[in-house]
Amino acid sequence: MTGDTHYDLEVLAELAEGLLDVATAARVREHLAICDPCGESLAELAAVREVLAAMPVPAMPMGVALRIDKALAAEAETRREGGLKLDEAPDWDRIMADSPWETPAPLPEMPVEPPAVERPEEVVPLGIVADDGSIVPARRTRRTSRRRSWAMPVAASVAAAVVIGGAGLTANMLMASGSGTGSAPPVALPQPTHSPAPSRSHEIRPGSAQADYPVAKSDYNYSSSVLDGPLATYVGATGPGTGSSATADAAVTRCVAKISARVGKKLGVKAPKPIGVDQGFYEGNEATVMAFWKDRFRNAVYVYVVDDNCTNVRPPAVSRWQ
Amino acid sequence: MNLPPDSPPAAQQAAGSASTDADLLTRHIGGDPHAFSEIVRRHRDRMWAVALRTLGDPDEAADAVQDAFVSAYRKADSFRGEAAVTTWLHRIVVNACLDRMRRKSIRPVADDELVEAAERDTPIPDHTGDRDVSMEVSAALKLLPTDQRAALVLVDMMGYSVEDAAQVLEVPTGTIKSRCARGRAKLAPILSHLRNRSDLTRVSSAKGAELRDG
Repeated sequence: MTGDTHYDLEVLAELAEGLLDVATAARVREHLAICDPCGESLAELAAVREVLAAMPVPAMPMGVALRIDKALAAEAETRREGGLKLDEAPDWDRIMADSPWETPAPLPEMPVEPPAVERPEEVVPLGIVADDGSIVPARRTRRTSRRRSWAMPVAASVAAAVVIGGAGLTANMLMASGSGTGSAPPVALPQPTHSPAPSRSHEIRPGSAQADYPVAKSDYNYSSSVLDGPLATYVGATGPGTGSSATADAAVTRCVAKISARVGKKLGVKAPKPIGVDQGFYEGNEATVMAFWKDRFRNAVYVYVVDDNCTNVRPPAVSRWQ
Repeated sequence: MNLPPDSPPAAQQAAGSASTDADLLTRHIGGDPHAFSEIVRRHRDRMWAVALRTLGDPDEAADAVQDAFVSAYRKADSFRGEAAVTTWLHRIVVNACLDRMRRKSIRPVADDELVEAAERDTPIPDHTGDRDVSMEVSAALKLLPTDQRAALVLVDMMGYSVEDAAQVLEVPTGTIKSRCARGRAKLAPILSHLRNRSDLTRVSSAKGAELRDG
């Protein structure tokens, strides 16, 4: 091949990898000797390797390492006790994948008592700077009670009971009654086949006098993929076995109002009430997760994750509720 | 597994009193509660790098590495001695990443408002030159088919031999070579404008220098 015809990058890359047969390779080399553009292309290919090799290899961030240690500690716990124990919010999607809702009590009996050992690497609660500049310790409601153990049999049988009873309730309606908006459409949204809603029957109570929307304090460590949804079992729920919801302190209430105004502007309505507010963690740091309806019928919610200063710690996103 | 220049073999022998990864894994299977943590401690940075490069997103990478380590913890007894523990771990991590990418690619495309909201509400990160290059490379990698990306991450970015990459991905070496070649051919036009800047980057990257000088 000579003149203005050139070999394409793929052929040149294959030459460099020694993938061409002897005759073809000889022909391409011959061409390269006299063709500057192809020589240039070959250099570009070599540069790709160098650019890739030069990419810095960052160490695993401490937060991720801790998260993994925690997950493995939970795994070790399971192994020690020889049973399935879920101390973190479980992946209901996966767990329930094989459990048709029609089958009552599809899961084996499991230990319900909380783990014997408190986790040593519990995050130390940080102080919050109050309005007057003094530092108040971050409120830890229910800190004295042990960390919530997500007891599956309870949730599973509850979910089964709803189906058996034929109540036909949807999480949406329950959420709506909790948020007190009264504007819930009485239409059940199409339910996904494996709808994970362990807390379906737990009506969400308003957190306190000043918060007329559900506020939870799950201490759950949210990850970005969890926040992609479905969220109904997390943000909308205080979780099975917790019974009551937390109260929102003034800072959270103010922040909800602020975010709510922002969402309202986006939707062109007056500040909407959140569907759920949960005080927990995001990637290991204390954070408050808020969900607002974007479009009830499309099952779309806005998700905001903010820190103590009401600053976004994760880009606001649209997620699925169920 | 032939580990690249900046990797643990030396450190491994120095740190563990003759505890190889295989020993540790055996002890883990036998019920030693600390053995697996040691394996994680030894390899987590490498696994993180592989996952981050393959997925191009720290949140996704964190989830993938966590899934992979938990999975390795559970199925340790399915490890067969003929492969190196590192190869086995890499395989689990890479597969966790590929699973995630496949699942992601069938997800509906994110709401355009999402992007708009993200741009408005997130502070713009401070762009240093290195970060810029790094982000451009990540973005370019995302344009490649997953198999080509995985091969390039292992061979060109992590510096593994073609043979090691073939073992991790469980394909013949020729397949690795051809995936790398095709991937590089696709990246070359996208990254060609980075060539001059890469000269700068190379100076600041010890790993790049090491790999370049053998």
